[in-house]
Amino acid sequence: MKKSTYILFALLLFTSAVNAQNAARIKYVNHTEVGGLFGRVKFDNQYNGNLEQVENRNSMTAQTFNGIQVNKRLATGVTVGMDWYRAALLTPIAAGLRYDLTKNGGVKLYGTVDAGYGFAWFHDDAEGFDTSGGLMLNPGVGLRFGKDGGPGFTLAFTYKRQEAEVDKPPLWGQTERSEHRVYNRLALRLGLSF
Amino acid sequence: MNPRLLQLLLIFLAPAFWSCNDQCKETRVTRQFTNVTRSLMELRTQVKSESPRAMEKPGKMYVKGDYLFVNEVKEGIHIIDNSNPASPKFVAFITIPGNGDIAVRNNILYADSYSDLVALDISNPSKAVEVERVKNVFKNGLFDGGSWNLNESIGAINDQNVEYVTETVTVNCEENVNPGSWWGGEIWAVADRAFFGAGAAKSSASPQSSGNSNGQAGSMSRFALHQQFLYTVGQNELNLFDISNAAKPKSFTTVNIGWGIETIFPYENKLFIGSTTGMFIYDNSNPAEPKQLSTFQHGRACDPVVVQDDIAYVTLRTGNACAGAQNQLDLVDVSNPSSPQLIKSYQMENPHGLSIDFPTLYLCEGEHGLKVFDVADKFAVDKHQIAHFKNMDAYDVISLGKTLLLIGKDGFYQYDASNPKDIRMLSKIPVGKAI
Repeated sequence: MKKSTYILFALLLFTSAVNAQNAARIKYVNHTEVGGLFGRVKFDNQYNGNLEQVENRNSMTAQTFNGIQVNKRLATGVTVGMDWYRAALLTPIAAGLRYDLTKNGGVKLYGTVDAGYGFAWFHDDAEGFDTSGGLMLNPGVGLRFGKDGGPGFTLAFTYKRQEAEVDKPPLWGQTERSEHRVYNRLALRLGLSF
Repeated sequence: MNPRLLQLLLIFLAPAFWSCNDQCKETRVTRQFTNVTRSLMELRTQVKSESPRAMEKPGKMYVKGDYLFVNEVKEGIHIIDNSNPASPKFVAFITIPGNGDIAVRNNILYADSYSDLVALDISNPSKAVEVERVKNVFKNGLFDGGSWNLNESIGAINDQNVEYVTETVTVNCEENVNPGSWWGGEIWAVADRAFFGAGAAKSSASPQSSGNSNGQAGSMSRFALHQQFLYTVGQNELNLFDISNAAKPKSFTTVNIGWGIETIFPYENKLFIGSTTGMFIYDNSNPAEPKQLSTFQHGRACDPVVVQDDIAYVTLRTGNACAGAQNQLDLVDVSNPSSPQLIKSYQMENPHGLSIDFPTLYLCEGEHGLKVFDVADKFAVDKHQIAHFKNMDAYDVISLGKTLLLIGKDGFYQYDASNPKDIRMLSKIPVGKAI
């Protein structure tokens, strides 16, 4: 938690520092997306002789980036989202960057990074369980369809890493049980930006 | 697109391809049991007073005058000089193999040592001396989840050593989505918790016999003193010891009382016995012959009970031997002990020991800390929470009026409770550290 707060603040500082250079003309940027988080999991199935088993894991994600255009290419801001993992509902709050990689054309390639902390505020635990969030990192690239400066559609192709901790009630003969989770997902999102 | 952009693109995309697997590691601490046979002949030579040592696994606590007695589970008893609650001092450690419970009358300390009841003279607390031993009275017991039983024919204890093993396994990241997988667990936890004890007893609630001075035990105690008798509860029986001559306890009689007995709390002329199936009330007006008056049955989970002014306060929690599914505090009307009636149930988080100093109720919530309630309005206890101390582990509490003693996994605490609305910590003895 502490580590993550530092990172968050560092990024916010950085973004505000970049801001200062262009205090004169501020352009608000909104980028709202929904999509899926696609991944797999490989685990020892204890109900099947501890044989390794692989399963698909897909879940839904939504997020909105609100920031300012720092210069022609770069926008910085704060990203707030919601991730419906099957066993955890997490709310990542992150510092975000959107950077145009190509200059011209109706379809632009852009880079996107969000880094922050996913909170478990809205997650409702079963009795005995206690889920808390963790660090979140979400870098990737996207395509933006639309005119310069106007509204446009986006398609983002990113990698999302989200950590979480779960305290669990001990089973037979156990005195403590906890789980460290790292969700590694391919995040595909469709969105609007203006 | 220039080459630099391509590089950037690769850096962004690469992680997506090499690790789109969720990685979940579960860490568990599991008890492992190994069977050992201990010779009674040898065990009986091992009781002795030693130099003080640090607490490692504190169990039940007991108070007598200026002295505190803290059980080191299965090892012995720490004697602590508490004449100044702000700076308690270790006086001595009495090695008593297989010890879990304590009771003190006058200068005599009674302790269990596996199958035996040992009486020690503690007139000089730094040099306790064994004065009497009643052999082979306890047939079996539990420590920290490991059970022992007496093999009388060869003079041995079949015991289990408990070790804690930490293991890490990969799991599928979504266990609690499927209820039921964890529901039935924790059978052993009760033994563990029971022996971590929970304590409670109020000065005025402890029966004092004329001419004798008894100490105070907690609500999780298995030992109780009343008139010329010492009562001890085992898994399924109640043992009476005649202590009319305090230094010479004699086995008096044994009463069978169901199964899964956990605690005994004497109040006025009654014995309140907590078991995994309910609370038993015994009439003790003839101390030599306790008679069962009634049983207060509830869900299959039971824990300590304390009583004051015709109201019994009973806590139930999950992780009990009976795999109970409740975490609650029950107020029970015992004005008619033959027919106890429920007053009201209150939801709690994970209640352990409790102590009543009417109208203040101290309730240990395990790892959720200590809660303090005003119980003057018995139908609205939950609306009168005075304080909640978090960030500590609370198993056991004894209210002595002005001071409050509390024990948990991480140490022993003392509080100034002269004003229940403003409880202040006086001292702490952390586990693993000598003072």
